[in-house]
Amino acid sequence: MNEPWPITDLDPVRRLHALAGGIRGAHVTEAHIDAPFERVWDLLGDLEGAFGQVVPDMERLRVVRRQGERVEALARSRYGMRARLRGVQRPGWCWLQSRFLLLGVAAAPEGPGTRVAFTGGVRLPTHAALIPLGVRREGSRSIQRLTALL
Amino acid sequence: MPDERPDDRTARLVRAAQRGDTLAMAELLDVLAPYVGRVCAPIALGQGADAAQEALVAVFKSLRTLKDPAALHGWVRAIAVREAIRTAHRAARTVPADLSALPARGDPQLSADIRDVLDRLSPEHRAVLMLRDVEGLDERTAAALLGVRTGTVKSRLHRARDTFRKAWTS
Repeated sequence: MNEPWPITDLDPVRRLHALAGGIRGAHVTEAHIDAPFERVWDLLGDLEGAFGQVVPDMERLRVVRRQGERVEALARSRYGMRARLRGVQRPGWCWLQSRFLLLGVAAAPEGPGTRVAFTGGVRLPTHAALIPLGVRREGSRSIQRLTALL
Repeated sequence: MPDERPDDRTARLVRAAQRGDTLAMAELLDVLAPYVGRVCAPIALGQGADAAQEALVAVFKSLRTLKDPAALHGWVRAIAVREAIRTAHRAARTVPADLSALPARGDPQLSADIRDVLDRLSPEHRAVLMLRDVEGLDERTAAALLGVRTGTVKSRLHRARDTFRKAWTS
């Protein structure tokens, strides 16, 4: 008899918590957004458009390569710094890192709305760690900007 | 690396993640999350997602301590079982292991919901069952993983698994 043992799958927001838990200095900012997942992800998944407006200090982001879920992008901060970000993007999930930057965004349907979560900051190279400066403030700003765009 | 064997890929990801590569951590998460979910759900039941999340946090927090990437699977399993039992207890969902209340053989309720059967067992009983029936571990290995004597695992199995299987294999 094929016994249907219970299984559980972690939604992207829970996955973001799991990863951030292993990165010293990382903070996850999480919120319920009163808009359906599709609408929220239309914005957050638009790397060259709304994504840059939601993530603080990101003036411009240009995708230079995409292969399946893998993405490579050039980013320029409002202060002129440049970064080559590499990572994975799929519905509800975006995880990008450069040598000095980390950006993590997750979203999952929650009732008629959406639960979103942000993490990231300035990386300490060769360590799973972020410089814990402004990580909470930037997460809150991302939520505010996303809500304003909706 | 399209021709890479899954074990080699996992070992490569573990080493890169231990060096602080968060992309490797994210890839490793994709590999581990379904497995951790399968281990945690039968033990923590309604708290399966909480348990799996806690287990993965514990995995990534202590990944640097894993010396041999080939041991990843067993190491993650031990963490997942521990977190699932802890989460189930914390949620105070534990009910007395009253096995006399198990549905009789052939009871149509059984084919309707295995969850109902698992619900009647303590988290430790569920862990022993899962380790034997899903993970295929022998009693000695299950005992080592749960931190109890082999005799304890045997008695838990006697009380839980046999009744469970009798109810299920008609």
